[in-house]
Amino acid sequence: MSFRHKSRRTDKSFSLVDLCIIVSRNRGNLKRSNYQKRVADGSMRSNEDMDSTSDLKNSNDNHRNSIRPVSFTTPESEGPVPRCTDWESEVETDEMRSSVRCDMQRYRRRILAAEFGPRERNNSSGSSDSRDSPVPGEVMEEDEEVLMRRQKQITYGKNTLAYDRYIKEVPKHLRQPGVHPKTPNKFKKYSRRSWDQQIKLWKVKIHAWDPPAQEGSELQAIDEVDLDDVMDIELDFPELDPDSSAQTPKVINSVPLFFFIKMMKIDTSVDLEMS
Amino acid sequence: MENAKEDYKIQSFDLETQKLLKTALKEPSTVDLEKVSNVIVDQSLKDQVFSKEAGRICYTIVQAEAKHNNGNVFRRNLLNRLQLEFVAREETRLRSLQEWVCFVTFICNVFDYLKVNNMPMVALVHPVFDCLLRLAQPDSLNNEEEVDCLVLQLHRIGDQLEKMNGQKMDELFYLLRDGFLLREGLSSMARLLLLEILEFRAGGWMLSDTAQKYYYSEVTD
Repeated sequence: MSFRHKSRRTDKSFSLVDLCIIVSRNRGNLKRSNYQKRVADGSMRSNEDMDSTSDLKNSNDNHRNSIRPVSFTTPESEGPVPRCTDWESEVETDEMRSSVRCDMQRYRRRILAAEFGPRERNNSSGSSDSRDSPVPGEVMEEDEEVLMRRQKQITYGKNTLAYDRYIKEVPKHLRQPGVHPKTPNKFKKYSRRSWDQQIKLWKVKIHAWDPPAQEGSELQAIDEVDLDDVMDIELDFPELDPDSSAQTPKVINSVPLFFFIKMMKIDTSVDLEMS
Repeated sequence: MENAKEDYKIQSFDLETQKLLKTALKEPSTVDLEKVSNVIVDQSLKDQVFSKEAGRICYTIVQAEAKHNNGNVFRRNLLNRLQLEFVAREETRLRSLQEWVCFVTFICNVFDYLKVNNMPMVALVHPVFDCLLRLAQPDSLNNEEEVDCLVLQLHRIGDQLEKMNGQKMDELFYLLRDGFLLREGLSSMARLLLLEILEFRAGGWMLSDTAQKYYYSEVTD
């Protein structure tokens, strides 16, 4: 996964797991140097789901001296909220919740506008998500949990160098449907599977704008190479004799190509210089 | 720029660090933000003057980073450090009262300045209350340093805290009333501070004119 993650901009370098490990190791003797080593480690948070921290909650509780309720209901939440994760995640979740609510209000207004003026097209230059013009009377997704989950997926897709390059290269009004990736509309009713699939396809499309890889990352990337990248490798192989390189375009989409590249890596330690 | 020094009270840092901080304020993406947050936290735990105003520079860096590249590396590191220090607060208090007091001042200052959508961070409400409740314990009330810290924080953020959780504030003030009435070994200074804060809250987080005169005017004898 290293290649994909390198294109992520946000550095999630410190996870709750690290926090608990450090606390349990250093109880009574806070070693700040340990903390710094951990962070330099750059270990990624493996599971982005909020629920993954529930089993960590127990170990976390042991380290808190104060007696506090296991869960509590805050004014903002509907129902009990599991006690926590790290503070930063809480803050990020709060931020996302308020932005989702804000989006919801805006979307509702657009639905109302659509009801009263069907010709009205909102070329929203400022909005972050694409929203297809709402059909008047269409039921929108209102479940906050669903919206938050969807928004998180969207944010992850947008938080990449590839997406950055994409939006810089192609202004919204020049986007061609089908050709250019379009953010799925989180307010429309979709089944879970349908939504997850839309997100997957959207992210794959965005990869077309991945930045050109640098030397160090290629050898790691070999195991994970996209078909797009495979095409690049093929064209730049200097060691191949002209005949075989002429043949490779034919086999570009077939599985054996991966083995071919792996073999090259093992046998000839080819320097894969991708432009 | 000299006003940065004044605004953010960074005079106590060595010149190299001052430069680092100034760059962080203007171009956050060009510096190691993790290092910056550690530098700020470390200094806040040592320097009482800085701990009282460090929240401000933190807020500016958070804003700058968000604006530049929508990042939150600095805030994440800051909150993680704070959380670590919070979890270890009892040990810190035993080791060094000054560091403990600096920590409470700092975390309250962060609560004051680091707003999210113009609201205080919900994540910090309980931790801040926990710290203040600790300061209201009998053993802490015996130390003027800790009482002073407690009333200072309540002056600065008491009203905001109460809005976020009124029940906890009530709980805190039960302790303060008890402390004022029942603790025998309290110094007169401590009793004065407690009486003032009791009146302050009772007045809706401000002192009446007469109370102001009583507590803060020079007494000519």
